[in-house]
Amino acid sequence: MDSPLLPHGVKRCSTWAFFFWTLPWLALLAWGGLSAFLCLWKGLNQTNMSNVFAFALWIVFDLAVIALGAGAFFTGFLTYIMGQKELKNIIKPAVIIGFICYSGAMAMLGIDIGQPIRGWFIFWHANIHSMLVEVSFCITCYLMVLAIEFIPIILENRKLEEIKELRIFGHSLHEIMAVFAATGTFLSFFHQGSLGGMFGVMYARPFAAREGFYIWPWTFFLFVLSAIACGPCFTILCTKLTEFFSRKKLVPDSAIQLLAKISAWLLSLYMVLKIADYLGWMYGIIPRSGLTFESFFREGPYGVYLVVCEIIVCGILPAIILMVPKGRQNQGWLIIACLLNCTGIVLNRFLFIVVTLAIPVMPFDRFWGYLPTWQEWGIGFAVIGYGFLLFSAAYRYLPIFPKERELNPITE
Amino acid sequence: MKKGNDHGKHKYGMVIDIDKCTGCGTCMVACAAENNVSVRADQSDKERTITWMRLYKISNGKEFPHTEVSYFPRPCMHCDHHPPCVSVCVATATKLDFNTGIVSQIYTRCIGCRYCQAACPYGARYFNWWDAFPQDKGMDRYLTPEVSPRMRGVVEKCTFCHHRLMRAKTLAYAEDRRELEEGEYVTACTEACPAQAITFGDLNNPEHEVSKLIKHPFTFRLLERIGTEPKVYYHSSRDWVRKLGDNFLPGEYTPVVNKTWAEEEWSTKPGRDEF
Amino acid sequence: MKLTRRNFIAAVIGGVAGIQATPLPWKLTDDVAIWTQNWPWVPVPPTGEFAEVSSVCNLCPGGCGIAVKKVDERAIKIEGRTDYPVNPGGICPVGMGGLQLLYDESLRFTGPMKRAGLRGAGQFTEISWGEAFDIVAGRISTLRKKGMPEAIAAVDGNPEGTTVSALIKRLMRAMGSPNYVRPPSITDTYRMGNLLMQGTLSPMAYDLENSDYVLSFGAGLLEGWGAPGRVMNAWGMWHDGNPSKRKTRIVQVESRASNTASKADMWVAPRPGTDGALALGLAHVIIKSGQYDARFVAEHSSGFDDWRSLEGTTHTGFKRLVLEKYSPEQVAKITGVNPKTIVSLAKGFASAKAPVAVYGKGKDSLNGSLYEFMAVQSLNALVGSINRSGGVLLPDPIPLSNLPILKVDAIASEGLKKPRLDQAGTMRYPFTDSLINNFTDAINNSPKSPVDTLLVFSANPFFTLPDGGGFKNALEKIPFIVSFSPYRDETANMADLILPDCTYLEKINDTVWPTGLQYPLYGLSKPVVEPLYNTRNTGDVVIELSRAIGESVGAGFPWENFEEALQARAKGLFDAGGGLVSYDSDAPAWQRKTAGKGPKPGYKSFDEMWEEMQSGGMWYRPVSSPKSWKGLFNTPSGKFEFSSKLIAQAIEDYSNKISKKAALKNMSLAAIDDEACMAHYEAPKAGADSSAYPLRMLPYEMMNLASGWIPSPPFLYKTIFENQLLKDKSFAAVNPKTAAKYNLKEGELVAVKSPVGELQVRINLFEGAMPGIVYLPLGFGHTAYDEFLKGKGVNPNNIVQAGQDPISGYPVWWNTPVKLVKV
Ligand SMILES: Nc1nc2c(c(=O)[nH]1)N[C@H]1C(S)=C(S)[C@@H](COP(=O)(O)OP(=O)(O)OC[C@H]3O[C@@H](n4cnc5c(=O)[nH]c(N)nc54)[C@H](O)[C@@H]3O)O[C@H]1N2
Ligand SMILES: Nc1nc2c(c(=O)[nH]1)N[C@H]1C(S)=C(S)[C@@H](COP(=O)(O)OP(=O)(O)OC[C@H]3O[C@@H](n4cnc5c(=O)[nH]c(N)nc54)[C@H](O)[C@@H]3O)O[C@H]1N2
Ligand code: SF4
Ligand code: SF4
Ligand code: SF4
Ligand code: SF4
Ligand code: SF4
Ligand SMILES: [Mo]
Repeated sequence: MDSPLLPHGVKRCSTWAFFFWTLPWLALLAWGGLSAFLCLWKGLNQTNMSNVFAFALWIVFDLAVIALGAGAFFTGFLTYIMGQKELKNIIKPAVIIGFICYSGAMAMLGIDIGQPIRGWFIFWHANIHSMLVEVSFCITCYLMVLAIEFIPIILENRKLEEIKELRIFGHSLHEIMAVFAATGTFLSFFHQGSLGGMFGVMYARPFAAREGFYIWPWTFFLFVLSAIACGPCFTILCTKLTEFFSRKKLVPDSAIQLLAKISAWLLSLYMVLKIADYLGWMYGIIPRSGLTFESFFREGPYGVYLVVCEIIVCGILPAIILMVPKGRQNQGWLIIACLLNCTGIVLNRFLFIVVTLAIPVMPFDRFWGYLPTWQEWGIGFAVIGYGFLLFSAAYRYLPIFPKERELNPITE
Repeated sequence: MKKGNDHGKHKYGMVIDIDKCTGCGTCMVACAAENNVSVRADQSDKERTITWMRLYKISNGKEFPHTEVSYFPRPCMHCDHHPPCVSVCVATATKLDFNTGIVSQIYTRCIGCRYCQAACPYGARYFNWWDAFPQDKGMDRYLTPEVSPRMRGVVEKCTFCHHRLMRAKTLAYAEDRRELEEGEYVTACTEACPAQAITFGDLNNPEHEVSKLIKHPFTFRLLERIGTEPKVYYHSSRDWVRKLGDNFLPGEYTPVVNKTWAEEEWSTKPGRDEF
Repeated sequence: MKLTRRNFIAAVIGGVAGIQATPLPWKLTDDVAIWTQNWPWVPVPPTGEFAEVSSVCNLCPGGCGIAVKKVDERAIKIEGRTDYPVNPGGICPVGMGGLQLLYDESLRFTGPMKRAGLRGAGQFTEISWGEAFDIVAGRISTLRKKGMPEAIAAVDGNPEGTTVSALIKRLMRAMGSPNYVRPPSITDTYRMGNLLMQGTLSPMAYDLENSDYVLSFGAGLLEGWGAPGRVMNAWGMWHDGNPSKRKTRIVQVESRASNTASKADMWVAPRPGTDGALALGLAHVIIKSGQYDARFVAEHSSGFDDWRSLEGTTHTGFKRLVLEKYSPEQVAKITGVNPKTIVSLAKGFASAKAPVAVYGKGKDSLNGSLYEFMAVQSLNALVGSINRSGGVLLPDPIPLSNLPILKVDAIASEGLKKPRLDQAGTMRYPFTDSLINNFTDAINNSPKSPVDTLLVFSANPFFTLPDGGGFKNALEKIPFIVSFSPYRDETANMADLILPDCTYLEKINDTVWPTGLQYPLYGLSKPVVEPLYNTRNTGDVVIELSRAIGESVGAGFPWENFEEALQARAKGLFDAGGGLVSYDSDAPAWQRKTAGKGPKPGYKSFDEMWEEMQSGGMWYRPVSSPKSWKGLFNTPSGKFEFSSKLIAQAIEDYSNKISKKAALKNMSLAAIDDEACMAHYEAPKAGADSSAYPLRMLPYEMMNLASGWIPSPPFLYKTIFENQLLKDKSFAAVNPKTAAKYNLKEGELVAVKSPVGELQVRINLFEGAMPGIVYLPLGFGHTAYDEFLKGKGVNPNNIVQAGQDPISGYPVWWNTPVKLVKV
């Protein structure tokens, strides 16, 4: 039915099959839509957030998604600035994933703030001391950059290509992509960092507090580094997932391996610094606040095993797998390592958000628990649904894998 | 900015005498009544109910019959050094006034991002999870026009009853005075406390009672070591109370010599056994 | 131009871009942001002229001075008055939240009403005042015509001595019913104790502010005992040093680490109900060590040493009784308090300059035990703290004028001869005025309710009586109930007719001598706002009702309105002279002045005084020099009586009538002869098998929750901790050791079962709870009012199995046997 819209020379499933494929994701979107409506109409009492858990599931989702979406700017940076031509094979999906992640995060933030209609006060009444202002400015700008990067990809659609002006517009955009890649890199560096900075500057919350360089606490740099260490792995995972569902090879191994190798180095570097950071925190900030390491990991789901997981299982282990050529060349190990890497970063963001808030600072204050409501899950999952939908549609209607035709010649 | 203004001239603060504090909760009610704080049918949900002033119940943890309980009344500390909530606020909806030391909150500016709540270690900030007030009960009839009721989705907190400062200043100006006398501006909780446990005044003014009280060895602040420089001080003759005011590593806390106002050992609580 | 796809797209893109250049999107963004600041459902308090009205709070008998801030006609804030002698400055949380009781419409009756639904359902239809008077007056007249005025009964919760209470009593007498009962309170115990030991009818007067050692036996100084505004003010003062510049020492005797116990300088924890024994233990040590005030004992007391009667029998005196039976070791066995503690406590008390032993049981809203009071008062006598600064003062009664003598008609005088249903004042309870628990039993134990029409004033006995739900059952049996409550309380919800009073901020009213105050004080509150609804001051309603009944009843109420009645009584204050009607915080009322010095009253005529009282809200006479001993004690011996001659006489009279054994049994006495006339300890009779009910339940009170007739302002629930109330469940405080015995964890749901009922609560592990005792908070568990108060927690009164206090007959509500069962 929709065959005129499909890219030339590639095979796609039937319209019906595609339709059924979209159903679960549409269902997630509907769930999210209902949740969003309730949260906007009735207020945030629809969530289980509280004055203790002022930041909760959504912020974890946001930070995780933004870290994972770092593949976009970083791949762009490698491709256009560092001239890694090999990565042209994967840059388009990376950009789309980035766009999904950032637009999803922005949508979630719009619901998360108590007065969404006043959201623009961030820009109008900006407090230059607030890391969150820096985050907001950079993310907003970067989302525009991502949109600009996405446009030429959309314009490559078979039907749109037929329109001459659009075709020319798209190609001209493409020509100057390096400028946007550079802008994106700059913006991303700051907002990824500021996301870390948001926590590091909370000097009265000893779990999150960090010292640092000039106005930037160490978490600023750690967040940048961790994001670029896991972003490429997330791009790899998404590609592999697409290959799995389409039962096709879409990206040459060389591109994947290059990303994996870069990730390995970055992750290793990150692990060294993160361990140093933990040690510095343990022997500096904690005792100065009169606390001990154990005081932060005392209850139920906030056990010390989270740190063990973050550092050893989801940090050192994937770093080794990715670092060893044999490890990353094995498809199974590669996927496991990418998964662990991404999990580790998500865990890191979870710790920074939830544990920071869950552990009371006043010695006589009590510990509270928190479980998200279905509305909170709904919004979170809607972003996943949205991602699947957008990515599937992009894959179906746009030639996002340049080597697809080459790797899968149609033999009829 | 004009030179020679009274930048940093006043620094309002309070001292709460924990020995005198009876745990009655009048300060909490007074604050809610004074500041149009909203009430809901279920207020046992302490994570969500709004209490600008909140009593924390503490215990020495000893076994019966050596148990003691006490209370920390906790308003906003009006942190003096780089208030954690102020620097993080995205929309400049909360500010430290250098002329008064008061950390203000502008409800109509707040976008409800709750970053300030995450940053405040004292749990002094409250988000409006619900629309403010019970409808159709006639309870809006007691609301004061001096303080705006808050809308859903914004953060609020203790303002040191800022409107009382404005009121006092207006009166003083009407009498052609620029400076307030001690006691002309006191907060609602201070005024309401039936045991006179709260003293309020200008910490920068050596004549004010508060600036004398904070020099006493029994006076301390909550979480002093993380450096927020609260302008709310506490006073207790009991070491276990003082020790709960901050986090201490084992062996780190040094007890204060048990001397009192009248240099009489009786006003410190002796161990039951010695008595 | 033709509409092609191409120029359509161009138009859209161009349009979108173009609109950005117009002010439209920016204006719209701004507008919606402004809209969020002006949501129509966020209230906008109207402003207007600011004013302040001074009045007196009478939400409790404490009578604090309050200043109410107003904007035009609206009251917006209640504050404590610094120009009022009781509470110079602060007030309690209940008073602070008072505006919610005025303005929360769903708590209130908005006009006279008739019951429309089932009893207790709280459904009423509005009627007119005329109709309401017709119904009550008609019913009363019918009863009177049938010659049964005693079938009218009244429960009056207005504090004793107030004018409205005097009018209600008068109405009952005029109608011809002896069945006027009051909910019990600690002042009943004080009154009786003072009568028996000192022969005085003045209220209890503890000179707390001037004391340097306050030994409180169970009085919840920080839980609402006495006049809370005054006591908490004293609490703060004590810490700054009393007038002698010494920090006042505070010792609390109580089984639980209450706020008072915790914050006192010392906490002593005897088993509940053994406070009297502990006091006698102290007496033992003081007597033995010779530290007692020998001069007071010799000159102003009787019954200390053994004596020989005219007939020649030797009688045991207080000294021998105490020395024989209350050595520290013996007392330790009873109370569980270490003998060493008893000794050091006694020494500390006796060696203080101005010690005072205060008796109470939590707040003053429930009665205490007569012998416990006598034991504590004996301690005061021993150290000579009676009629001494810083001790117990013996002021004259407040000089209010008596109302004119009431002439009753034949029907009434017949009715008044009928026995009271509660047997108060009979030989069985010779010194008791009112016994509401007996009243309840009388109704519940007869097949048909002896009460036909019950009038309920300022009381919510359904909720507040420690009677295991007895009063509720009685209400169900009574054919016709009239409530005068302004609030939709439990008892009012059972009523057939509502004649709603105004709330305390809408009417003129008086408070007479706040509990425990050491000087006479008469407070006058005034309407702060016009009545919001169609309600009327019960004082006026009583007068109007008397007129509606007519005949001699109406004739007994010659006043135009309630204010005239108030003035008629207050006339006596003027005649007595010397009373002050304004307060200067530099001359506190408790500061002793030599006679003739100190501030002078500024008024010249009664009218002038009344006018000043209306604006200032007070009349008081500051403490003056100690009184002359001559004629001070109005007892048979003319002295302070360690051994009460009145009790001896009463037991003898009753024994002569029925057998001695039966008399003692009826009076709930275990002790006999001389011991029964003195403070002594009697173990409460075990009500139930202690193996089936191994624990004891003790209700406890909090300053920040109203547990009496007045509903708690919703604001108060902000102050309740989440281990006291969580959603609909209140908590029982239990020692972790006791809980471990039953395998109970923090927050676990349990049933507390007593022989008369069961309640479901959550467990709160509290080290400060005495092992073996289950502490339940009073004030939760309302089944009436609105969603702020209804269905939150349980009311411990519902499972109280009360015994009878010897002699007084008041309920022993502190000894209910219970067990804990996991749910
Ligand atoms: N409870 C409650 N709190 C509130 C509000 C409320 O309605 N209720 N309102 C909020 C609002 S809207 C606001 S704007 C804030 C106001 O809060 P603030 O900004 O704290 O307002 P003021 O108390 O007026 O403080 C202004 C200070 O500036 C000084 N000043 C005057 N002229 C000059 C000058 O020329 N130069 C300098 N450097 N200083 C000068 C004054 O002496 C004074 O100390 O309060 C907020 N807080
Ligand atoms: N003496 C003195 N005067 C001052 C100042 C001072 O320091 N001293 N400060 C000045 C300053 S900085 C300011 S901002 C002004 C503030 O002055 P105002 O703006 O007049 O005072 P507010 O108390 O902020 O609120 C105004 C009204 O808005 C109502 N309101 C609250 N929420 C809403 C809502 O959602 N919708 C609607 N429609 N109404 C609402 C409030 O109940 C109140 O009646 O005062 C100025 N005047
Ligand atoms: S009002 Fe005073 S005594 Fe009561 S809790 Fe507050 S500070 Fe303590
Ligand atoms: S106590 Fe909290 S809200 Fe108050 S100034 Fe400090 S950080 Fe801000
Ligand atoms: S919630 Fe409001 S006050 Fe707090 S940081 Fe956000 S905008 Fe500022
Ligand atoms: S200072 Fe004012 S706003 Fe702050 S707690 Fe006290 S009463 Fe509330
Ligand atoms: S103590 Fe009693 S009189 Fe005083 S404010 Fe509280 S309720 Fe009113
Ligand atoms: Mo303002």
